[in-house]
Amino acid sequence: MEALWAGIDNLASWPVLAAILIGSVGGLAIGAVPGIGPAIAIAILLPATVFLDDLVSLVLLLGVYGSSMYGGAIPAILINTPGTPVNALTTYDGYAMTRRGEAARALSLAYAASFFGGCFSIILGLSALMLFGPYLRDLGALFGQRDIFMAAALGAVLLVAAHRKTMGIAALLFGLGFLIAIVGRQTTRQIDRYTFDIEYLYPGFNLIVVIVGIFAISQALFLLTGKDADPPHARLKGGLLRGFGELNRFKPVAFISAGYGTIMGIIPGVGEFVAQFFSYSTARAMSREPGKFGRGAPDGLIASEASNNAVPAAAMVPLLALGVPGEALTAMMMVVFFDAGIKPGPDIFDNNPDFLFSLFFALLIINVLVVMTLLISTRHIARIIYIPTRLLGAFILILAFVGVFSIRNSFTDCMFAAGFGFLGFILRRLDWPLVPIVLGLVLGSIMIEKLTAGSGQIKTVVDLVNRPVSGTLFVVILIVIGVTVFTSLRTRRFEH
Amino acid sequence: MKSRATATALKSAVRDAPMRSAVAGRGFASACPPAKRINVEDVNDFRRTRGDLVFSVFMVCVALFFLAFFFSQTGWEDRKLPANMARYWMDQFGVTAPEGRLSRLGRIIKQGWFAPLVCICILVPAALWNLRGAWRAQMWRTRFKQPTAVGHEVLQWLRALEFVAWFVAYTLLVPVLGYLVATLILGTALPWRLGYRGLRWFSICFAASFAIVLVFRSGLQIRTPVNIWLYDQLPQGLETFMQVWF
Repeated sequence: MEALWAGIDNLASWPVLAAILIGSVGGLAIGAVPGIGPAIAIAILLPATVFLDDLVSLVLLLGVYGSSMYGGAIPAILINTPGTPVNALTTYDGYAMTRRGEAARALSLAYAASFFGGCFSIILGLSALMLFGPYLRDLGALFGQRDIFMAAALGAVLLVAAHRKTMGIAALLFGLGFLIAIVGRQTTRQIDRYTFDIEYLYPGFNLIVVIVGIFAISQALFLLTGKDADPPHARLKGGLLRGFGELNRFKPVAFISAGYGTIMGIIPGVGEFVAQFFSYSTARAMSREPGKFGRGAPDGLIASEASNNAVPAAAMVPLLALGVPGEALTAMMMVVFFDAGIKPGPDIFDNNPDFLFSLFFALLIINVLVVMTLLISTRHIARIIYIPTRLLGAFILILAFVGVFSIRNSFTDCMFAAGFGFLGFILRRLDWPLVPIVLGLVLGSIMIEKLTAGSGQIKTVVDLVNRPVSGTLFVVILIVIGVTVFTSLRTRRFEH
Repeated sequence: MKSRATATALKSAVRDAPMRSAVAGRGFASACPPAKRINVEDVNDFRRTRGDLVFSVFMVCVALFFLAFFFSQTGWEDRKLPANMARYWMDQFGVTAPEGRLSRLGRIIKQGWFAPLVCICILVPAALWNLRGAWRAQMWRTRFKQPTAVGHEVLQWLRALEFVAWFVAYTLLVPVLGYLVATLILGTALPWRLGYRGLRWFSICFAASFAIVLVFRSGLQIRTPVNIWLYDQLPQGLETFMQVWF
């Protein structure tokens, strides 16, 4: 209880509240612009967080993360273009409703479902913290180096398995990210790994340089070489509050979807897409009119929005509890933890329990603030859709420079960021996923760090899996691999 | 029986028919674009495009490059391994009983070359597997007379290099003209190059660039180059002011 009040108290400062406000409203605006997702905003903001207090930084990034999907629903519903990639499913039913003349109803339902999904996972997280907090303090003793190594390995396996049709590419890019992470001089043994006697490479690649290059610069190049979209004019008539009442009619769908979002958010490497996939499929199976799905079914819209907004709070769980980020955005947030000197992991329940409460309460405030902003100013935010995307590309390029240069005043960093940006651009052109590179970078370093730290206890191969947690996780890895291979073979046989 | 079948057919026809506007009474030919109907699996859809094979070959080259340098760039020369590795692994997995003291696996794991080896073990097979997929997609395209020329795609990649050059030029311009002036130049010149011309666009871009400098440099005091050639030419007071705020 003390931690709870301390957590609330942490938030009661002007810088934190300002960060919540800026993050939420900024995230909404960023989400509403098609082509600019939260990853780019977070990549650009990351270097700025070095100059801010750790809680302020995290709350700012959480604001962007938590609110961008709300914003992303606006263009998805109004102009059939998802604001962020995870709003793709929202277009199916949201835009169909707009074409029926029900844009306001669709937006209102999307807000209500998003709010429900967001609050559902936050309240679940807070309840778990309050109920199991005292027990979670013992988690540190339960999780050793080998257990966290195994959790990171599970995250890597799940990441590849989740990219159903691009598993080879995901594995390749994960390997590439992993390789980028190990370049440099190994501090303990002074061994240079792939440095080719280049002085710049001795400390290794800076995580932010790679992230800004891969996400922000690549997107800028993608926008700059593309054409400005000419979105149709969208009319918005009617109130936006009625969806909150209407959601009552779709309670089972909302609960199940939020549940899927929470579970999939907790599992590393899975995230919003799989959550949406399950939620949408389940909602369609539960519906009395499954044929309406994809043609303006409100339950389809609710399934999509409730599930993807339940993910951010849930995705914080593996990050905070194990120090293992489950997807790209939380991987970027790891950088803030590194800078702040806070080690996310099982010990955090013992050392900084108030910090956890602060983060979850901040997310709750963000959700409330975002919905209030949307109810008041959707019409204004909707105008952001019409900002020319190529112009945005030019300004992302300018912002990327600040992001990269400010880390360590290095022009070489900027050159490497440009190189990574070009690589990311080609990946985007080919429709290859970018997330495995970042997770390869982060999970790869965690895996090697933990394995090396635990090497003293590893006499034989069995020592890797003879602890309760690592053994269980290893079995889960085997099951995931088995199921993935089985379903792949079955799909291939079916297709042939 | 027949009437039941007719009813089912009618029902499905009604279900599949384009939906009509409930509000205005106007009908649409299709409630949403045909390609976006119901297929929730589309979220995971992926099709290899032209250029995929070229890039896959490039990735294989990258993987083989790192494999080739594994032996000289990872501390492999200073490796400390048991004399008989085959026997060691058999001992590890309990196939054979160890003779004497079994060397700790942890000793191998913490050597510098171990992490690169794991990377290479992921990277090389995955690159080859991906190349196989890209090659098959290319064969499919050839067989079904789909466009296979990669020229257009490669041209797009090269087009992006122009903007990379803009970024590099901006980076080089900052220590000469300062963050403020360089940002104002790029923030107005690049949109002009993109076709956003005229006083209205110029004003918008100028204001946006200035706002970026104000927020990041003046507000958040983010580090930018300090030894600026242009600022050195200014009077002392102004030089200090510019260095502190812009």
